[in-house]
Amino acid sequence: MSPPMHGGGAGGEQRRDFRSRESNFLLEAEAPLDAELRGNRRLRGGGGQWRPARDGQHWHRTWPPLGRGIGQPEGCGETMASDGARRQFWKRSSHRLPGSIQHVYGAQHPPFDPLVHGTLIKTVPKTPTTPVKPKRVSTFQEFESNTSDAWDVGEDDDELLAMAAESLNTEVVMETANQVIQNHSRRCQEQPRLPEGHVCGDSEQAEHFCDLPLGTGSDGRLVKSVSESHTSHPADILSDAAPLQRSQSLPYASTAPLAYGSDEKNALGPPALTEREAYRLEKFRQLLAGPNTDLEELRKLSWSGIPKQVRPITWKLLSGYLPANVDRREGTLRRKQKEYFAFIEQYYDSRNDEAHQDTYRQIHIDIPRMSPETLILQPKVTEIFERILFIWAIRHPASGYVQGINDLVTPFFVVFICEHIEEEVENVDVSCVPEEVLRNIEADSYWCLSKLLDGIQDNYTFAQPGIQMKVRMLEELVGRIDEQVHRHLDQHEVKYLQFAFRWMNNLLMREMPLRCTVRLWDTYQELLIFLQNLPTAHWGNEEVSVLLAEAYRLKFAFADAPNHYKK
Amino acid sequence: MEAIWLYQFRLIVIGDSTVGKSCLIRRFTEGRFPQVSDPTVGVDFFSRLVEIEPGKRIKLQIWDTAGQERFRSITRAYYRNSVGGLLLFDITNRRSFQNVHEWLEETKVHVQPYQIVFVLVGHKCDLDTQRQVTRHEAEKVAAGYGMKYIETSARDAINVEKAFTDLTREIYELVKRGEITIQEGWEGVKSGFVPNVVHSSEEVVKSDRRCLC
Repeated sequence: MSPPMHGGGAGGEQRRDFRSRESNFLLEAEAPLDAELRGNRRLRGGGGQWRPARDGQHWHRTWPPLGRGIGQPEGCGETMASDGARRQFWKRSSHRLPGSIQHVYGAQHPPFDPLVHGTLIKTVPKTPTTPVKPKRVSTFQEFESNTSDAWDVGEDDDELLAMAAESLNTEVVMETANQVIQNHSRRCQEQPRLPEGHVCGDSEQAEHFCDLPLGTGSDGRLVKSVSESHTSHPADILSDAAPLQRSQSLPYASTAPLAYGSDEKNALGPPALTEREAYRLEKFRQLLAGPNTDLEELRKLSWSGIPKQVRPITWKLLSGYLPANVDRREGTLRRKQKEYFAFIEQYYDSRNDEAHQDTYRQIHIDIPRMSPETLILQPKVTEIFERILFIWAIRHPASGYVQGINDLVTPFFVVFICEHIEEEVENVDVSCVPEEVLRNIEADSYWCLSKLLDGIQDNYTFAQPGIQMKVRMLEELVGRIDEQVHRHLDQHEVKYLQFAFRWMNNLLMREMPLRCTVRLWDTYQELLIFLQNLPTAHWGNEEVSVLLAEAYRLKFAFADAPNHYKK
Repeated sequence: MEAIWLYQFRLIVIGDSTVGKSCLIRRFTEGRFPQVSDPTVGVDFFSRLVEIEPGKRIKLQIWDTAGQERFRSITRAYYRNSVGGLLLFDITNRRSFQNVHEWLEETKVHVQPYQIVFVLVGHKCDLDTQRQVTRHEAEKVAAGYGMKYIETSARDAINVEKAFTDLTREIYELVKRGEITIQEGWEGVKSGFVPNVVHSSEEVVKSDRRCLC
């Protein structure tokens, strides 16, 4: 029996290439990989389970810690260390594969920046190997510190630009930008020749611009991808404790309060960031204080991320679970929580009835295997998930329980429990959380899940028309926006449904680490409001715009794409 | 020598939810048993080469399908373009065995006008103490449908290679005898990348295949 055939080197790893295993055969069908290409693949390599999606390990290794400005040079240690600890929770598996941890270079992976004008994000290596003109660096850093949250859009734009203008003059910025672009393209050409194990020594930041108009997005935003790579000490790559600050590829703001630990970031981050975050938090608090929260305003504000402190309440409001009127909130919560437990009382015993035992059995089987995250594996949490999913399923017979829905409970539960714990969520022992608190979290998670699913139920009804339609829209959009990718997939007979089905079915839950999903859902909440008011018109475009980010990532997953670009 | 394949076979793996389809495939393609396996939604794709005779390689494209009923409308689209299939049941779950018939019916409807060569796989044979389906009755059912029967364990790597290669050989023989032919518009069987060269020399260098993109 011949062994799996993927030639030497990164072979085994390639086969496990993430969920779009189509790429396996693309690879086989492809000419020998050049070094850069392999470098890109390795971006996704390293961890045990070859699912970068929720394998926090990969992401930690390959992207900068979330919630942290990409370019923060020093003082990251603590956060990174705690990121290391946090990783325990996000990663899907701690398994290591021999030979799968590789030095990574050439990780140009454009994240999305919805600003119309490019924003330069500079990553300063922890251990610069090439001296850089101090003046430029500081200037650039200054600029970066004012603009690294540029993914945030909305009403703050003007303020942002003003901040940037204050500390920089445009010429310097543009000069730096050009330099960066030049360096980047130069290095792109050099990379394939870099010897194995050599990590890009160029400390200059690579910027790779690629405008992706978001089509008919309601606000006409453009997505701009900014890719960055940077120097890393090889030790970083080898050391688990020091996740690589590598490249950011997804549409989360570099400073948006993504990570649960945004507090510690406040403590460590440059003053400008703290100021800005404090400002944002204050804005949220003002809005939430009432007496009637302007949901429209809240929605706008949430687009660019919700500060951790106010995320639970904001999600509850934007999902339509809580009323905008402050005085009515407490009562509503009580009533709904009671109502949920009445459901349990009424229905949960029926899980072993003939009519429902299949549903229950499926849920019961799926929860332990949906992730190895210690949180969910705690018996109490498993039970909570089972109850939430079972009650939802039997109360929605048109779809019932469909695999994938189980994934959608997690963000709610995690966000709501974070409100009541001091430690990091992966360390929490749920049995230490008071029973009453846990019950409320359960009820809140149920209702928010319910609200979320109300809007996308046709994803889960017979033949899953909602998903089919969204995948078609995605295809159409990619065809229009990135014809090369589209053609490439087409040539290789890769059907969108083959890779994008799960994106839609699990709302990207399996394509990225949970904390990214949480951040993404800050923006999804907006969609829910759309759903309640304008059911279909905006939904697809908005969602697809998010998915486009993934599509871009996919292009890199089909690792030959960068070469196609160069040609 | 860079590998090239004589033929590419597309296989589909079906069976009830949680009988172990994905784990079996991953054992075969990745050589390991995943401790945790997310429920498959829609379909997943894997591939591997097998050498059925010295120098004769077949590339297997393996479609992993979701077992849950709701995904049937997605997964059934893959029957038509498959030449072979592994129909799995879990030997510790009698119900999954009873559903074998339904699965065959389901495929029959959707595969036409083509045919799928199936092998019946009794999975999780390492859990012999919890067995609910005897080997004998499974063999009988398989014979009734003209299928081979094999018992496998992804966890203990029992018969995993054999299940796939036996099926591959069976299909290969049918192809050689002309009972299965390559057809335009059908993905079940494809010939190697450089058909003219394949039979005379399998030493085709990989870079020759650059033309694919």
